[in-house]
Amino acid sequence: MKFSRVIATAVLLAALTGCSSVEPWVKPYERQNFADPVMTGYRDPVAVAYLNHVFEAREGARGALGGHGGGCGCN
Amino acid sequence: MPIRHRLATLLLAAALAAPAAQASAPAAATDFTLPARDGGTVSLSDLRGQVVMINFWATWCGPCRQEMPLLQQLYGKYEPLGFTLLGVNVEPDSAPAQDWLKKVSVTFPILFDRDNKVSAQFGVEAMPSTVLIDREGNVRHVHRGYKPGDESTYADLVRGLVKE
Repeated sequence: MKFSRVIATAVLLAALTGCSSVEPWVKPYERQNFADPVMTGYRDPVAVAYLNHVFEAREGARGALGGHGGGCGCN
Repeated sequence: MPIRHRLATLLLAAALAAPAAQASAPAAATDFTLPARDGGTVSLSDLRGQVVMINFWATWCGPCRQEMPLLQQLYGKYEPLGFTLLGVNVEPDSAPAQDWLKKVSVTFPILFDRDNKVSAQFGVEAMPSTVLIDREGNVRHVHRGYKPGDESTYADLVRGLVKE
């Protein structure tokens, strides 16, 4: 019982110190790097725009996904 | 119970001592040299004897763009009293800044910290960050961020430092 508690404490301490220095940490003056096209999770922007358009039309909620244009989203 | 009391006292003392120590010993600003917008370079050490305000900004930073005309006003008002403003652009590519400055009238020196060494040196924790340095070259105030009304805080601080 005691041994397991020691182990648990050790693991907890290790886990907590892991949070103290996350590298690389983006500094406020480096935030423009987030807007780099390489930061997008998708490979093909045209296909993503189309999929988002369909999704928005289906959900009845347009915008904020980068998809453009009107229409029914059915073609 | 007494142990807990003692602990609380210790904690309180530590909490009180930390800011007090910060306030009593102004740290000397580390010197830097950066390329300027007009083609030359500017060193902080050349400006010793003047009150220097360093404003870290970027074109993608909305509050930075918002405060730029107000900083220009501040510069126009206090420059004759020995005050200098340095606008340090933190972007690796200076082209957006150059384009934007064509639209906004700014006469104080704009410097380009393309590799972010100076931003790291001053520990810029927010955008924009404004550092005030007195005539002896000590960092006296660090202002993080900008919200409307902060310009009067800047003016008060500059007035105080210019009088020294």
